Amino acid sequence: MSPLAEQICRELKAKPQQFSEIADAHRDAAWRTFLRTWGELRENNVLKRDEDGRYLVAGD
Amino acid sequence: MKKSFRDFLSELEQAGELARVKKPVDLRDVSALLSQSSRALLCENVKEYPEWQLAGALVTSRKRLALALGCPENDVALRFEQGLERLIEPVMVEDGPCQEVVLQGKDVDLTAIPYPLMHVYDGGPYLSATLVVSKDPQFGRNLGSYRLMYRTPTETGIDLVSPSDMRRYYQRQLDQGKPLEIAVAMGVHPYEMLAASYKAPINMDEYAVAGGLHGEPVPLVKCKTVDLEVPADAELVLEGEILPMGWTADEGPFGEFSQISGDVKWNPIFRVKCITHRRNPIFYLLQMPWENDWLAAPVTEAAGLRALRNASVEPVAIRAPVGSCGYWTLIASIRKRPGEGKNALLALLSVAEVKLVIVTDDDINIHDPDDVDWALTFRVQADRDLIVVHDARGKHIDPSIKSWEMGKGGLPTTAKLGIDATIPEGVPKKLYKRIEYYGQNRVKLEDYL
Repeated sequence: MSPLAEQICRELKAKPQQFSEIADAHRDAAWRTFLRTWGELRENNVLKRDEDGRYLVAGD
Repeated sequence: MKKSFRDFLSELEQAGELARVKKPVDLRDVSALLSQSSRALLCENVKEYPEWQLAGALVTSRKRLALALGCPENDVALRFEQGLERLIEPVMVEDGPCQEVVLQGKDVDLTAIPYPLMHVYDGGPYLSATLVVSKDPQFGRNLGSYRLMYRTPTETGIDLVSPSDMRRYYQRQLDQGKPLEIAVAMGVHPYEMLAASYKAPINMDEYAVAGGLHGEPVPLVKCKTVDLEVPADAELVLEGEILPMGWTADEGPFGEFSQISGDVKWNPIFRVKCITHRRNPIFYLLQMPWENDWLAAPVTEAAGLRALRNASVEPVAIRAPVGSCGYWTLIASIRKRPGEGKNALLALLSVAEVKLVIVTDDDINIHDPDDVDWALTFRVQADRDLIVVHDARGKHIDPSIKSWEMGKGGLPTTAKLGIDATIPEGVPKKLYKRIEYYGQNRVKLEDYL
């Protein structure tokens, strides 16, 4: 995965977050770059959801 | 020539109802801008998307809804009903602006279109102003509107939880282990959006409804990769298929048209095989809830008028209040004969997922909530004038029906309430004679100010 995808993975392992919170945390990235990165996470099937709709990544 | 999305934008601008934003706008800020605007907005400079403009908040008032329908504000239901009564079949054309640019194979990239994040609790960026076309070998073509949540550059979630003709088409394909081909047109005239929202009988072509509203046929082009047809003047088209995976992928939440943030749902995935669009296209951002609710109201109202006429009850006026999202409540006044208050309730309670119906006599101004309250107060006896229907078809996004208790792909039911607020049989009308101010036709306040 790209460095940004790896970073988001680490953040979601540390704490479940709403999509908007993740987007806010990475406003320095171009929107298209952010969306492509999100696509990487989806394609790698690492994203889970909690009951409030937050995204999370299961720990190792 | 049939009106296009761009023609509607021009009409809004000429009426002083559209503002142009010339400063560069980050896509992540557009939703907030639209929510603060009393006018429709056209953002001419969208950062990272130099070929695109973005329009939104187009139909967020009754005035602009009336502009979209080309009629006075209180006639929107009648205007829509006229479209239903004079269906005009679409025509096929060889080519159209919606295919000026064609992207297939490795060029398919949903990040290349301005895919916006709208609400704080959304599960991702969404496309919401969609006209989705599908086809079934037995039942024919269907139009609907379904939200699409971004997943990857070639895949979106698609909300197929609620009962619909397309859900039925998908289920029939799924039973055979096959995908369902769909085409998603965006940036079409409000007539096409309204026709797609209308719950037409399964064998009725909603393009013919749109034609009836336009007063002329909707020109269609063949899609490039699927056996479907889309409006030739659309701004953007996605072609592809809903995968035969059932209701297994997380989708949502999305700011629902019920004004609620919604919940995570389980839905299928839409895989995009081809993107076509105009050169220098305009992206239409339909923001929840108000734009959707204003567009829903005439569709619900027209369905109510039809139900009343089919029940041989004479309607005078009908309203689907925007507080009920233009969808869950119908208030109608009728020219009543004995017993028809109840007949009207039975007819209106059959409309889609409407769950509250109030019927009044024709002396009540149903566009005035105080007048409706007055009728409810003095014409209703709760032990005689209420009808409750149990276990009728419901809609997931109504939290009171506890849809989370169902399994994946399950369909909810709801209770429905009808209130007959017409003058009860046996009560003399003279008992409802309104106060009139002495001299009110002779004396004018402006003569004294």
